[in-house]
Amino acid sequence: MEKTLSVRHLEKYYGNRGNVTKAINDISFDVSKGEFVAIMGASGSGKTTLLNCISTIDSATAGHIMIGGKDVTALRQKELSRFRREKLGFIFQDFSLLDTLTAFENIALALTICGAPAKEIETRVHRVAKQLLIDDILTKYPYQLSGGQKQRVASARAIVTNPALILADEPTGSLDSKSSRMLLESLESLNRNFSATILMVTHDAFTASYCSRVLFLSDGKIFNEINRGKQNRKELFTQIMDVLSLLGGDNSDVL
Amino acid sequence: MFCKLALRNVRKSIKDYLIYFLTLTFGVCLFYLFNSLDSQTAVMALSESKKITMRMLVQAINYISVFVAVVLGFLIIYANGFLIRRRKKEFGLYMTLGMDRSRVSRLLMLETLFIGLSALAVGLVAGIFLSQGFSIITAHIFEVNLASFRFVFSAKALEKTILYFGVIFFIVMLFNAVSVARLKLIDLLNGGKKNEKLPLRNFVLSVILFLFSIICLVFAYRLFIQNGLAIMDRKFSESILLGCLGTVLFFFSLSGILLRSAQKSKKLYYRGLNMFTLRQFNSKINTTYVSISVICLMLLVTIGTLSCGLGVAHTLNDNLKKLTPYDASLVQSFPEMSNSPDITAKLKKDGVEISAAASGTSQIIFRTSDATLGKMQVSEKEVMEAFGMPADSAKHLCQTPLNSISESEYNQAAKLQGKPEISLGSDKYAIVNMNNQETSIMNNILKKGTILKIGGQSLKPSGSSVLSTSLVDYRNTSLSVALVVPDRIVKQFKEDYSVLNVNFKSDAARTALESKLTSVYGYLSGTTDADKPDRPYDEYNTRQSIIDQQKGLTTSVAYVAIYIGIVFLIAGAAVLAIQQLSETADNTERYGLLHKLGADEKMINHALFTQIGLYFLLPLFLAIFHSIAGIYGVNQTIKQSGRVDITHDVLFTIFIFLVIYGAYFLATYFGSRRMLRQDSEK
Repeated sequence: MEKTLSVRHLEKYYGNRGNVTKAINDISFDVSKGEFVAIMGASGSGKTTLLNCISTIDSATAGHIMIGGKDVTALRQKELSRFRREKLGFIFQDFSLLDTLTAFENIALALTICGAPAKEIETRVHRVAKQLLIDDILTKYPYQLSGGQKQRVASARAIVTNPALILADEPTGSLDSKSSRMLLESLESLNRNFSATILMVTHDAFTASYCSRVLFLSDGKIFNEINRGKQNRKELFTQIMDVLSLLGGDNSDVL
Repeated sequence: MFCKLALRNVRKSIKDYLIYFLTLTFGVCLFYLFNSLDSQTAVMALSESKKITMRMLVQAINYISVFVAVVLGFLIIYANGFLIRRRKKEFGLYMTLGMDRSRVSRLLMLETLFIGLSALAVGLVAGIFLSQGFSIITAHIFEVNLASFRFVFSAKALEKTILYFGVIFFIVMLFNAVSVARLKLIDLLNGGKKNEKLPLRNFVLSVILFLFSIICLVFAYRLFIQNGLAIMDRKFSESILLGCLGTVLFFFSLSGILLRSAQKSKKLYYRGLNMFTLRQFNSKINTTYVSISVICLMLLVTIGTLSCGLGVAHTLNDNLKKLTPYDASLVQSFPEMSNSPDITAKLKKDGVEISAAASGTSQIIFRTSDATLGKMQVSEKEVMEAFGMPADSAKHLCQTPLNSISESEYNQAAKLQGKPEISLGSDKYAIVNMNNQETSIMNNILKKGTILKIGGQSLKPSGSSVLSTSLVDYRNTSLSVALVVPDRIVKQFKEDYSVLNVNFKSDAARTALESKLTSVYGYLSGTTDADKPDRPYDEYNTRQSIIDQQKGLTTSVAYVAIYIGIVFLIAGAAVLAIQQLSETADNTERYGLLHKLGADEKMINHALFTQIGLYFLLPLFLAIFHSIAGIYGVNQTIKQSGRVDITHDVLFTIFIFLVIYGAYFLATYFGSRRMLRQDSEK
C-alpha cells in the first residue's frame, strides 16, 4: 500500500541545554493512503506537538517527515506555505471559519489560495458540500450556523482541495455528542467515498473509535497501537478503553 | 507600584501606538506654532499697514484655533478609544486579579496623563524650535528683513496650548472613566473573540441610496458652480448640505455595490485572497461610513485650501497692479468747507511744489450728486441679484447718491495713464468703473439709453458700455463707480473726495517729496500733527504700499487656509491609520488562519496592501471629485479678477499629500505587517 505519511525517528525538544523537555522522543510510524488514523494521549503526551510538526506549523528538532513522498523537514520557509495549501487540509477544534465570509466563500477560500481557476470553484465547492450535507446552508454566515454545521463547513474546506492528508485537531472538542456523531460520520464518509487520508488528534475514546487505527502517545513515545481490522466500532471502543486504563488515563477520558 | 505599572504600560503603548503619539505630538506642535505668530512678529519691524494685517491674521488664527482644538480633541478621544479596545484583555486580567473598577479607571487616567504630558512636552519642544524657522518664512511673506536672529518664545502660546490640551485630556480621562465603568468582565476577557454581527445591507436599498447620493452630489455641484463662494445665501448652504448628505449616502451604500459588482466578476473575486480582502473591507466600511464621510469632507477642505489658497492670493495681487495706475495718490475725504478741495494749491501755499517732483499730475474732485440708482430705474431686485445682497442693503444702495466727476478731470486722469479721452458734448454722460466690480447693472443702464436727471438737467448716455478706468491709487468701496458729466454741471455739488494723482520723475524725486511733506506736516500720512499747518490730504498711498498691504492680507488668508488644510489632512490620515491598525489588530487571528491554510506572506501582504490602499484611496477619490467642482465654482466667483492659475498649487498639493498622506499610509501598512509578524511568532 502506498504510504501517504511516514514519520521517521522524529524528535522535538523544547528548552535549552541543561533543561530539555523532550516533547517527542523518537517517534516512527506510517500512514497509508486512505487510512483514518487517530492519535490519542493524555495532556502533555506530545500529540499536539506531533500534529504541529506534521502540519509544518512547527519544525522538528531531528528526524524526517515524508508526506506524499516529500520530506517536509527539508523544505524552506517559502516552500512550506505552498506545500501546506496544496498537500494538507486542516480541521481545528474552534472551527476557525472567517466570520466575514459566507459558508460557501469559506470553503472556496481554500481553493482560491491554491490558485484554482475561477470557473471550477463553484462546482467543486458544491460537490463537497453535497457530500457533507451542507449544500442548503452555503449562503449563510458562520454566526448563523450551529457548531456542528460550522465544523462540517470546516471539514469541507479541508477536503475541497483534494489534499494528500487531512489533519484534524480535536475536531469534536467543541461539539455536543449529537453533532460529534454527525461530524464523525461525515469524516468516515469522506474517508470512504473520497478515499481521504485523515490523521486526527483526540483524547476522546468515542471519537477515536471511528478510526481504522489508533496510536497511543505517552511522554513523547508511541506506547501502543490498535488496528481495527474486522472489529466493529463497539469492540474497538472497548479495546481503546482497555489501553487507556493501562495508560492510567483519568476518568474524564472514559465516556 | 500603581504608578510604576501605569508608567510601564505607557512605555509599551508608545511603542505600539506610534501613530497615536505622533499625531498628538504633531497637533500640539502645530497649535503652538500658529498661536505663537503674535510673538514672532512682535520682534519684527513691521510698518503700520502690515501691523494691522498682522493683527487681523492673529485674530483669525485665534478663532480658528478653537476649531482646530475641537478637531484635535475628537481625534484624541477617538484614538484613545482604540487604545482601550486593544487592551480590553489586559483590563480584564486586572479585574480578575481583584483590582476594582475605580482602580482600573484610575490606572487608565494615570496612563492618559503620562501619555498626554509626554506628547505635550515633545510637541511643545518641537513647536518652539520649528517656530524659529516659521518666523523666517513669515518675515519673508511680509517682506520684512530680519536684522538679526532672535530666539522667540511665546509664553502666551505656551499657556494657551497647555490650557487647550489640558481640557482635551481632562475630557479624555472622563471618557475613559465612563467607558471602564461600563465594561463587563466577561466581555473584557473574551474581548478579541466575540463574533461581531455583521450589519448586512439590502442590495436593492443600497442601489437606490447610491443613485440618490449621486443625484445629491450632482445637484450640490451645480448649485455651487452657479453660486460660487461669493454669496453666502441659502443656496450656498443648500449646496453644502446636499454635498454632505450625498457623501454620507455614497459611503453608506458603496460597500454593498462594490462587493456585488466584484462578485459579478468571478475571475476577480475568486483570485487569491481577493474574496477575503473585499469582505473585510466591506464589513469595515459598513461600520465606519460616517467617519469615512467626515474624512472625505476634511480632505476636500485640504485640497481646496492648498490648491486655491495661494492661487487666489496671487491672482488678487496681480490684479491689483491694474488698479493702481499712478505712482502715488493723495486723498482727502470729506473736505471741510473751510478747507479748499484743491490739494495742489494748498500744497503750494505750504511751500510744497508738486510739479518739481512729478512728471505728471491729475487732480479729481469727486462730488456727491443728486442722482441715485433708484432714480435711474434700477430695481432693488436687480441689485440684489447682481451683488448678492440682502434686501435691506440693496434698498439702501438704490437710495445712495452717486458720485460725479467732471469730464475734463476725467480726461486729464485718463491722459496721465495713457487711456483714450472722451468727449461728452453738452448733453451726454458716461459711467466710470474704478474697481473692476460687477458692472452688469451699469451696462444695462447705458444700453437702455436711460436719461440721467442730474442737477436739474437731463443727459443721454454716451456709448453703451462702462469706462473701466481706475482713477486713484486707493482702495475704498465708496470710490468705485462715478458718473462723468459735463464740467458745468458738477460745480453745484458738494465735494466728497479730493484726489491728487502723481507720477514721479524718479525714485529720488519721490523720496525728496515724501521727506518734504513729512517735514512740513509732521507726518506723511494718516496721523496729523496739531502744531503743524493743516494737511490738505488724509492719506498718501504709493502703488507699492497698496500692493504690499494687499499682499499681506491675501497671503495671511492663504496662511490660515493652509493651517486648517494641513490640520485636516493630518487628522483625516491619522483616523484612517488608526482605524486600519485596529482593524489589523482585531484580525490577527484571521490572518493567522490564512497563514495556516497555506497563504504565504506575499499573498497576505498583498491583501493587507489592497485593503489599506482601498481604505485610504476611496475618501481621497471622492474628495478629488468634490474639489474639482469646488475649484471650478471658486474660479467662477473670482473670474472678474482674472483666472486662477492653479497648476503650481496643484503640484504643491500633490506633494503635501504624497508626504503626509503617503507617510500615514506607509506607516499603517508597515505597522500592520509588523503586527501580523509579531503575532505569528508568538
